[in-house]
Amino acid sequence: MSPSTDQQTKGPSVAFFALLIGFLGLGFAGYQGYQGFLLNDSRPVMSWLLGFSVWFSIGVGMLFIIMIWHVFGASWPIIIRRQLEHALAAFPYLALVFLPLFLIACFSNKPGLIWHWLDPEYILPGGQMVSEDVLYHSKEAFLNKGFFFYRVIGYFVVWCGMSAILRHCSFVQEKDPVLAWTHRAHNFSAAGLPLCAVVTTFAVFDFYMSLSYHWFSTMYGVWFFATSMRAGLAATVVICYFLSTRGHLKGLYNKAHRYDLGSLCFAFTVFWAYISFCQYFLIYNANIPEETFWYNIRELNANWEQNTWWLVGLWGLVAGYFLVPFFYLLFYKNKVTPHRFLFIAFWILAFHIIDLYYNILPSQTVADNVVGYVVNEFSITLADIAAIVGVGGVCVWAFLKSLPKAAPIPIRDPRINLSIHHHE
Amino acid sequence: MDTVEKKIFGLVAAFKTTPAVYHAAEKVRDAGFKKWDVFTPFPVHGLDHAMGVKRSTLPRMTLCGGLLGFMTGCLMTWYMNAYDYPLIVGGKPFWSPIFPFPVHYELTILFAAFGTFFGMFIYNGLPRHHHPIFDHPRFASAMDDTFLVLIEAEDPHFDAEKTHSFLSGLGGQDITLIEQ
Repeated sequence: MSPSTDQQTKGPSVAFFALLIGFLGLGFAGYQGYQGFLLNDSRPVMSWLLGFSVWFSIGVGMLFIIMIWHVFGASWPIIIRRQLEHALAAFPYLALVFLPLFLIACFSNKPGLIWHWLDPEYILPGGQMVSEDVLYHSKEAFLNKGFFFYRVIGYFVVWCGMSAILRHCSFVQEKDPVLAWTHRAHNFSAAGLPLCAVVTTFAVFDFYMSLSYHWFSTMYGVWFFATSMRAGLAATVVICYFLSTRGHLKGLYNKAHRYDLGSLCFAFTVFWAYISFCQYFLIYNANIPEETFWYNIRELNANWEQNTWWLVGLWGLVAGYFLVPFFYLLFYKNKVTPHRFLFIAFWILAFHIIDLYYNILPSQTVADNVVGYVVNEFSITLADIAAIVGVGGVCVWAFLKSLPKAAPIPIRDPRINLSIHHHE
Repeated sequence: MDTVEKKIFGLVAAFKTTPAVYHAAEKVRDAGFKKWDVFTPFPVHGLDHAMGVKRSTLPRMTLCGGLLGFMTGCLMTWYMNAYDYPLIVGGKPFWSPIFPFPVHYELTILFAAFGTFFGMFIYNGLPRHHHPIFDHPRFASAMDDTFLVLIEAEDPHFDAEKTHSFLSGLGGQDITLIEQ
């Protein structure tokens, strides 16, 4: 009869299928990961970390986007913001997805399977154990199991808490239409931005940078912020496309919204390139072995030939993740034409996953050669796909389950008219 | 006719309200005029669309400037470091796209800005010290409370009498012939 009743009959079934896909994907990835755990093979366990990271980065990006919009008092994205608030419902489930990794790291008998530094008896390239490693001892004040345990809990408390607060301020305003909720959202965002910046920076130090714990980069937190913003914006574009063609944003999401989202996508494409290149450039120019090894394993094998990660970096990141979106988004029509914009959003998401591969997966396995290790080559396994799709299914389910909890757009927001009538 | 012959520049009609000039602009656009303009005391939202003005092609000048700047940067760093005075610095190659990238990047930005700035000058026909519409006695009030529509004589649809009656049919007042 009306679009809303149509959605009520259709909504739960789509959500059910999303959850089913989520369970199937996580089931397969979980089985593979368990086998990997038993056989001491970290690759299938890394698939799980990768699947988590893809959706976690989108979530973190969206969290930052919402807070930035609140702090700037942005009027144009109000109708879009509500969709992101629904997406933030996934954070508690992301915490659940992370739980198995957390349990392996903190409570299993193979703590070094993912993060080697957690296992004092883990053998490093060169034959040393972690407990004999001078570099580990100088980082031990931060990189120790007890602190790690509380840190990870703290990170998820902050992300889930900020998501819940922002959702609450926005959803409650519909029943209690006073300006105070807008001010509260603004103030919580102003406090939440630096808090989440610090928390996310340290989280990616723990989750990703400490995978090669000898290495350090001050750009790393900003790199993750940049790539998360790109992923969050691209996912926003995808959500808005489908909600405006067959959902509740039909007739609301217009050309000017797409143009502004497109400009943000473009800005963060440049920002990501700036950050990623800076990190590479400074390490390349300084040429200090304790930093360059991180890029060396992403370029060269022990026999001094280029490995697959070199191709991933050059064609996947430089060309695919930067040059193509950069030139594509320069053009006005590509930002405002819905299907063209959708294409580049999917493109950015695909290469975002490649960026995560590049940062998470290359690792050294001890070997008897001149450098003492071999680099694990780039590969996309079934467990990777299952984990990415599986966590995605759970996130989509959380999003759809959240939809009926609030009006399609924040109708009581004081700036809602400016957003509906947004024009260039 | 024996004095200095003055060329007709165009016809100007005055409008009193924003909706009046907005709808008049739509009709001038639909009548197929190309060389014409609207003068308003303040920016009118949507007037571009009502006038049928397409998006500016200025960004193309920016892109050209940016690409030119990038190539200038590459050429400059290659000439200096690898050709004119080859010098090994920090164990790096004489020239690679990486170590002098900040130079390429900065010159891209600089030349893109030049492209935009000078492109805008060229597109607007600047610098220009005089325009025939300045002779219109009511031009000053177009900066205050009047909206003017100007149709230039160079437009192929222009015909002094027909355009005059067309403008008055749109509700234009005080229709004046401007000479140059």
